[in-house]
Amino acid sequence: MTGGVSRREVLRQLALAATAASTGAFNVEAAKVVHALAGEGRAQPGGYAPQALTMREFRTITRLAELIIPADAGGGSGVDAGAPEFIDLLCSQNAELADIFTGGLAWLDAAMGRREGATFVDTPPDRQTAMLDALVASERGGRARDVGPGVDFFGWIRRLTVDAYYTSPIGIRDVGYRGNASLRSFETPTAAVEHINRMADDLGLRSPW
Amino acid sequence: MPNTQHSPEIHDVVVIGSGAGGATVAHVLTRLGVRVTLLEAGPMLDPYREYKEHEWPYDYDHRGAEEGGVRYFGGGKPFGFFSTTSGGWELDGEPYTVAEDTNDFWWFRSRIVGGRTNHYGRMTFRFSDYDFKPYDRDGLGWNWPITYDDIAPYYDKAESFIGVVGSREGLRSAPDGVFHDPPPPKAHELLIQRASHRMGIPCIPNRRAVITRPINGRPACHYCGQCGRGCLTASNYSASQVQIFPALDTGRLELIDMAMARAITTDGSGRVTGVVYLDKRTREEREIRCRVLVVAASACESARLLLNSKTTEFPSGVGNSSGVVGRFLMDTVGFGLSGEVPALEGLPRYNSDGAGGAHLYMPWWGVDDQQALGFPRGYHVEIGGGYGMPGIGSFAGAARRGGYGVAIKERARRDYGTRISLSGRGEMIPNNFSYCEIDPTVVDRWGIPVLRFHFKWSDYELAQADHMRRTFAEMITLMGGDPGPPSRRDASGISIGGSIIHEVGTARMGDDPRASVLNGFCQAHDAKNLFVCDGAAFVSNPDKNPTLTINALAWRASEYLAEEMGRGNL
Repeated sequence: MTGGVSRREVLRQLALAATAASTGAFNVEAAKVVHALAGEGRAQPGGYAPQALTMREFRTITRLAELIIPADAGGGSGVDAGAPEFIDLLCSQNAELADIFTGGLAWLDAAMGRREGATFVDTPPDRQTAMLDALVASERGGRARDVGPGVDFFGWIRRLTVDAYYTSPIGIRDVGYRGNASLRSFETPTAAVEHINRMADDLGLRSPW
Repeated sequence: MPNTQHSPEIHDVVVIGSGAGGATVAHVLTRLGVRVTLLEAGPMLDPYREYKEHEWPYDYDHRGAEEGGVRYFGGGKPFGFFSTTSGGWELDGEPYTVAEDTNDFWWFRSRIVGGRTNHYGRMTFRFSDYDFKPYDRDGLGWNWPITYDDIAPYYDKAESFIGVVGSREGLRSAPDGVFHDPPPPKAHELLIQRASHRMGIPCIPNRRAVITRPINGRPACHYCGQCGRGCLTASNYSASQVQIFPALDTGRLELIDMAMARAITTDGSGRVTGVVYLDKRTREEREIRCRVLVVAASACESARLLLNSKTTEFPSGVGNSSGVVGRFLMDTVGFGLSGEVPALEGLPRYNSDGAGGAHLYMPWWGVDDQQALGFPRGYHVEIGGGYGMPGIGSFAGAARRGGYGVAIKERARRDYGTRISLSGRGEMIPNNFSYCEIDPTVVDRWGIPVLRFHFKWSDYELAQADHMRRTFAEMITLMGGDPGPPSRRDASGISIGGSIIHEVGTARMGDDPRASVLNGFCQAHDAKNLFVCDGAAFVSNPDKNPTLTINALAWRASEYLAEEMGRGNL
């Protein structure tokens, strides 16, 4: 990835400069440039040609990724985060994983055919979510026995979709991770300390000071 | 030996291993003007090419799941894709075996310049005065031949050079050292500290090998919390960047990488003459001759080399006339508990990366109460929590509990940063059931006989781990959390032997040559020009993580070695 190379080169020069100067002050401004560089370069969505999955399978995982991680006010969807491409890439490198997905998708379409007379993507949204509700209920030990064979696959696509989302810039922003920065000093903000003090007092954990 | 390439040159000092022990020897000796040749079984390290500091998961199409998503199948790098180059629990072509009398034993080996200091947790604790005389305290194990006062000046030197954050607390169980200013506590640590104080347990600034002011051209920490990825600015201690590279700059250090030591050679009258090693690149065997040999290959690799070096005068292995090489293998007792703490929900988000690792820890508090506690030795507590960089698997719990849809996102937002973990690290007492020996039937890809491990926790360690369990459950409950099941454990909840990666004791020092391998200067009783400068020399394994004491013992041994060389005694 081009951003990675230039980032690395900038970082290297940063480190050299800091060491040579022996002042100990890490060049925070230059470091910020590095971090901005690292954030660019995410492949643009659209026009992706699946390597392991068929177009039909790829459309199905795309719909599933959208249902598992839908867009809301806090962030985009699993599709926005590149989950379908992530899954297809790993499947293209791992036959065991590819079998899990192709087998699971085939089961899903067959099961939807029995239930609704159509494939998953060709079924109305409320019937799609009814299937996911049944899978979750079965996973939690419920009685939806006819979807039992799909539970393992559902666990896989959810795991990979969730990972794709929270390892993407939008997912990282969604949960509010603020780190991976270069700072001159570390401090815990007063508001955070005050929150802890309030909570500790509520729990009856008195401050020793 | 046939086909062995001999070099006519006689080197002054040959060191085997470039980790905390070997690198300290190389650093100290070259500064004293001694020429050193260092053999490392792995390749040279190139931080700029290998370190993944400051990278994001989305810089990689696999996001950190590694090629083919192998992390989902239990594979991949042992400490995660972004972790620094180090080694592994399994090395291709270099097996070890576990004896039938043993449940399980794990052995982590590095094959890289700098050894395990590349990845270690950088906890940097001095042993206490009583740690050197454990037998005097409770009649268990053996005393060291040295005292705290003997080693204290070398703790000073090692800390001053390496750089360690910490604070002066005046606690007997955690002697103060030469410290850089510690970073302030993180928010969740303040809550843990309140709970620990309620239980009468001290919770003080952590002591880690990180610098908060520049020293020796190394800039101060920039608080990215990514020590485990390797630090491009060398603001933490790793033997490669802090000791090996500067020692190479003196012109007095020659480094031979990809060199796997096979056997030590002797002259037939008890003097070590050199070492035979395999060049891993060519599979050619070479012999290197030296005046003094320092073995620092890690406790078990060092024992393996000594045991595999059978000569006419040392039929059971060089340095092993006592028969204790490989015996009294110890690891650290590990026990972990974590739980989600609702009081941390709604905490204002902030960058909690910090100086890498925790900013606080709990030193042992029961020194004077061991009798009443029902187990003889102490432990300390390492704490975890905060807003880590999201990665593969970070929100698996939220995904399961959320089912699917916006519920997952809401769970993740609520749960992020609310998990607190407590990890006990306790002292194991040496026992007769825990040792390594040469497996009589297995060799590695280099034709070198491999180690076979025997390992058993005693009731002392099991009782200690049980105390950890009760203590941590109470502490998490006090914070309003729900302690989950113990992490990484066998059936009893205690860690698997070797899994804490603190193996020590396999060539212990002592005053009595019939019951020990080395004297107090890490010098072999059997051969005065042979030294073992790694965790093998330990007589006991106090709860304090071993690296600083390996540094200090190696520093002390190196000064002694240089003096003795100067006097013509080696």
